[in-house]
Amino acid sequence: MRNDDKKQTVPTLWGNLSFQKLQRASILVLLLILCAIASFNTPTFLTWYNLVDNLFTNTAALGVIALGMTFVMIAGGFDLSVASTTAVCSVVLVLVMNAFSSCGAPAAITAALLVTALVGTALGAVNGVLIAYVGVNPFVVTLSTMLVFRGLALILTGGGQSLQVADIALRNRFNWIYDTKLPVFGHDHQIMLPIVIFLALFALGIYLLKFTRFGHYTYAIGGNEEAAWLAGVNTRRVKASTYALCGFTCSVAAVIFLAMTATAQPEAHMGRELTVIASVIVGGTPLGGGSGGLVLTLTGLLLLQVIENLLTQFDIGAEYRPVVTGLIIVVVVTIDVLARRRGRT
Amino acid sequence: MFVFSSNLRARRQLKTDKLKSSDILLAMQGIVKDFGGTRALDQVDFDVRGGEVHALIGENGAGKSTLVNVLAGHFSDYKGLITFAGQDVRITNPRQGRQIGIAVIFQELSVLPNFTVAENIMLGEETGARWSRKMDRSSLNAQARQTIDLLRFDLDPDEPVGRLSRARQCMVEIAGAVRRNVKLLVFDEPTACLGSEDVEKLFSVIRELKSRGLGIVYISHRITELPRIADRVTVLRDAKVVGTRNIAGCRLSDLTRMMLGHDLTEFFPEKTNRPGKTILKVHGLSRPGVFEDISFELREGEILGIAGLVGSGRTEIARAVFGVDKASGTLEFQGATVPARSPSLCRRLGIGMVPENRKREGNITGRPISENLNISILDRLAGTLGFQSPRRLALQAGRMVERMRIEPPIPKTNIQNLSGGNQQKVIVGRWLAAESKVVIFDEPTQGIDVGTKSQIYRLIMDMACKGRAIILICSELLEITKLADRILVIRAGRLVREMPGPETDEDTLLALCMGKGKSE
Repeated sequence: MRNDDKKQTVPTLWGNLSFQKLQRASILVLLLILCAIASFNTPTFLTWYNLVDNLFTNTAALGVIALGMTFVMIAGGFDLSVASTTAVCSVVLVLVMNAFSSCGAPAAITAALLVTALVGTALGAVNGVLIAYVGVNPFVVTLSTMLVFRGLALILTGGGQSLQVADIALRNRFNWIYDTKLPVFGHDHQIMLPIVIFLALFALGIYLLKFTRFGHYTYAIGGNEEAAWLAGVNTRRVKASTYALCGFTCSVAAVIFLAMTATAQPEAHMGRELTVIASVIVGGTPLGGGSGGLVLTLTGLLLLQVIENLLTQFDIGAEYRPVVTGLIIVVVVTIDVLARRRGRT
Repeated sequence: MFVFSSNLRARRQLKTDKLKSSDILLAMQGIVKDFGGTRALDQVDFDVRGGEVHALIGENGAGKSTLVNVLAGHFSDYKGLITFAGQDVRITNPRQGRQIGIAVIFQELSVLPNFTVAENIMLGEETGARWSRKMDRSSLNAQARQTIDLLRFDLDPDEPVGRLSRARQCMVEIAGAVRRNVKLLVFDEPTACLGSEDVEKLFSVIRELKSRGLGIVYISHRITELPRIADRVTVLRDAKVVGTRNIAGCRLSDLTRMMLGHDLTEFFPEKTNRPGKTILKVHGLSRPGVFEDISFELREGEILGIAGLVGSGRTEIARAVFGVDKASGTLEFQGATVPARSPSLCRRLGIGMVPENRKREGNITGRPISENLNISILDRLAGTLGFQSPRRLALQAGRMVERMRIEPPIPKTNIQNLSGGNQQKVIVGRWLAAESKVVIFDEPTQGIDVGTKSQIYRLIMDMACKGRAIILICSELLEITKLADRILVIRAGRLVREMPGPETDEDTLLALCMGKGKSE
């Protein structure tokens, strides 16, 4: 209504901004407090082994998916099929490597990586096309593809048995992706390759999101899709691309997971999609999109992982973990809602 | 000159005796309402008789909505006297307004789409056991039917409201109000999103209510529809009443002057543009059921006005040209046929559009001014590897903010924190930055204050002077006549007439739009 125009003028702006900052800061503060508690309680928490080798390395694969998910969610979308996509990609990796194992390890691995990347991107693109071009609701589309892709993984493995790379030499070469330690900070403080992969993609993602047209359009679509369309943005293509990108990140995650476990299980990663979505939301990207960012997602993901790590250290049973995670999400999102409401009046 | 038929008045005269409706139903005296330091209503006097439609018009921020909200009971701290049905009242909350018999039909209807017509009408008055799952549907329907018949509405009690057109949904809300013995109905810009058929339906409903002796307050910023519905009109400007007139014998141009309060020559820019060679050719543009066989040419440096009533298809024509909606027909831009049209293709070719609904189609919500300004030129600003230099983006946005005089001049400000006028400047600036050769303006001055309006007229004229071709769609016919070189008159989806802009006056144009022109 017309009169609202008058009411919401400049003064609220600063209130708005500071609240956003406050909220962002609150997650960081929470993260630091938790780390402090953890390090006081268990001296092993702040060790290189626990933080880098254990926590960061295990988070890397999920983190990669969270990068793609952040793009999707900033554009106002949603992807429930990431865990299934990752499962398909792991299976495809093993199948291709087995098929090409006679050509020698480098060729087999290269072929496997390429095919998997293609498959992941294609599966994401299927979501994207259905959502952006056909116009089906993202929840419905990705819920269905979550089931379909999971089924695909089962079919590819002939009914759900675990797959391994048959050639042991090849398998060991492939596991190199996980095992390689880079002595970046000396030999006591090595960094494992998954972290490097994650950081590289993270940097690339920030470049895409903040410094390219694609990123700007992604935010614009989340802000107001119709307005972006009428401003001459090819919103369909951009939206579909975010899903394809998310599919690609799933394939990268599959590579890391396979290198870590050496086994492709068609039923792996179930429920991981929720962890990924949760970390994006906890980080501060709203469900409707339009704002948020990769750094935020990283904070959200670390928060969830530190909590998990803490629960392990305090020896709290696995049965309580979902409760804690769920509560954290509710609390953080509630703070967000309240902050927004305050900022509006 | 528009002379209103005395027919309706005569009919009213007949009914008034029966219903005693000439009595003053509502009298507001010396109403004052402040928001912080600004005075939104300043000693406003306003009255409504029973069986009368009293229109309330004014520019944005003139105080119309504030006055309605006083009536609706949204403010408890207004000053002044309100007399309703012979009694002094102080309306301090929305419930109270309803209880004494005042109902406001806001633009956003408050019907429940999944409930049936009867359920909506009877909402809160259902009879039968409170917790029983089975409501007594037949008595519910019977009671609702009573009200519907009383009002001679064409509604089916069993139909879900969500399936009805907006005008019918509005009728449901009216029926609900009438059921609760409402004596005064306030319509807040009811035609803002209605098609022409629906507008007719609504008008006949309002006439029916009027004949039953209800008082009607009709708020609008579309002067053009007043002669068809109102008996009296009160003009508000800068929180004050400028005057109250009988519609019969009142000229539209006088009302416009009362609303603007400006000398018109000062308000509109001088026409200095010079149309050049043809840049856009539209041929046989059709969309079944919406518009048909629209052909026109547009020249560089020309302002082409498209006039028509709401729902005549003018917005849809613009959307079809810009490729938003699919339509048959050909479009030739700079001599080359444009095949599959889409907004992004049009943008790349050099066609832009400032859409009608700023909030829904214009603003990229939650994003700063800078991004809203730059969105249409990002491909031009990209460096190697698609790099968008933040410095370059900020510089470009800063330049536009300065040029458009956007307030506050801080490119990082979120667009929804701007006033309507400034939001519009951002969206116009978007296409100015894109250096589009053709820009379509659909209701560019809707919902913005007088000062910004004048500024936007100047911008449009400036663009035309620089050789840009402009299509201007506008409900305010005065604007079109003052700015356009040629005016296309659209009625019921057809191009009925082309008029030379400067020599046409708004009353003639209105008659043409309504189909009462001498050309017929």
